[in-house]
Amino acid sequence: MAESEAQLKARMLGSLDGDAAAHAALLRALVPLLRSFYRRRLRGTEEDVQDLVQETLIAVHTRRASYDRKRPFTAWLYAVARYRMIDHYRQRRLSVPIEDVDDIFVAEGFEEAVTARLDVDNLLNTLSPKQARAIRETRIDGKSVAEAAVDAGIGESDVKVSVHRGLKAIANRIRGA
Amino acid sequence: MMMTMDTQQLIESLSKDVPRVRPDALARRIGFGIVGGGLVTTALVTAVLGVRPDLQVAMQGFSFWMKWTYTISLGVGTIYAVARLARPTPTSLHPLWLMAVPVLLLAGIGIGELSRTPPAQWLTLWLGRSWMICPWLVLTLAVPIFVGLLWSFRELAPTRLRAAGAAAGLAAGAWAATIYCLHCPETSAIFVLSWYSLGITLAAGTGAVLGPRLMRW
Repeated sequence: MAESEAQLKARMLGSLDGDAAAHAALLRALVPLLRSFYRRRLRGTEEDVQDLVQETLIAVHTRRASYDRKRPFTAWLYAVARYRMIDHYRQRRLSVPIEDVDDIFVAEGFEEAVTARLDVDNLLNTLSPKQARAIRETRIDGKSVAEAAVDAGIGESDVKVSVHRGLKAIANRIRGA
Repeated sequence: MMMTMDTQQLIESLSKDVPRVRPDALARRIGFGIVGGGLVTTALVTAVLGVRPDLQVAMQGFSFWMKWTYTISLGVGTIYAVARLARPTPTSLHPLWLMAVPVLLLAGIGIGELSRTPPAQWLTLWLGRSWMICPWLVLTLAVPIFVGLLWSFRELAPTRLRAAGAAAGLAAGAWAATIYCLHCPETSAIFVLSWYSLGITLAAGTGAVLGPRLMRW
């Protein structure tokens, strides 16, 4: 059975006070929590789960000073676990599974989201202003073709053609790059 | 609950060495990093650049304290940012906008200075005698403090590495500038606002570039 926040926190405080038994009990209690945290996110690769659990235990051990006693322990633990997972992917140069991307954007601040946005802007800047505008309005800002046509003062078929040609040009560019 | 032998052994070996962690461990760790680096920077300033000969007189004047107030308030603000980014949990950096206050105050003093100076002398006021080297000296003197902070981070858990690197660079730059005041004889507010700030910003930028590489864990 998983231990509660209060139990875990009590063990963590013991560990911070130098109680080796509390420390060992804490780490043991974290194993099932971390295992299910990583299993839910890694899907199937049991070896990676094992590695990550152990790396996280080591991080909990060596970076205890970064825990604020006044704050919930599990929030700290999962923040450490999430970072270890991102670093794990980074090392292996794999991409993060798509289901987690949104969570990670939220947790990691907007840096990645901004970078993604900049990439899109860079690509759109390679197109003609008309095509870029048509794509931005219909595909990113979520306007309808009719609204985009009115905004730009052009016909609806013109918007559709611009989007189509623009996307094609971007696709070619990405393939060529 | 199943636990593999490996993990069991790992836990046992980790539990052999459980030093006590003081409640203020994070603040002390960051403090030691900055003070340790700052001592090296102070040694460099005194041994290589030399303390300005008129320091005692200057310390009774306005411009010395204007410079120190500016760099020290930036230094204190950035320590706050470093401390927040040293924890893995998500954090807001909004209070950092307060650092605009010293910048605006100094700009205000600068405008006052310009209004009291004939326009023909504005350029001299702005460039002083050392504008070309001042930012680079601040950047160079920031290195030991930045290294000290890297040491601090070894037991801490930054998760936004670029931001943490930038904050560490900014803190190193602001404290390096504070120590550089012992040498630098420039007196005008717009000089400090331009060239000190440029050096501090260069340090922050360098930190942002290096952070993801050097602060990984």
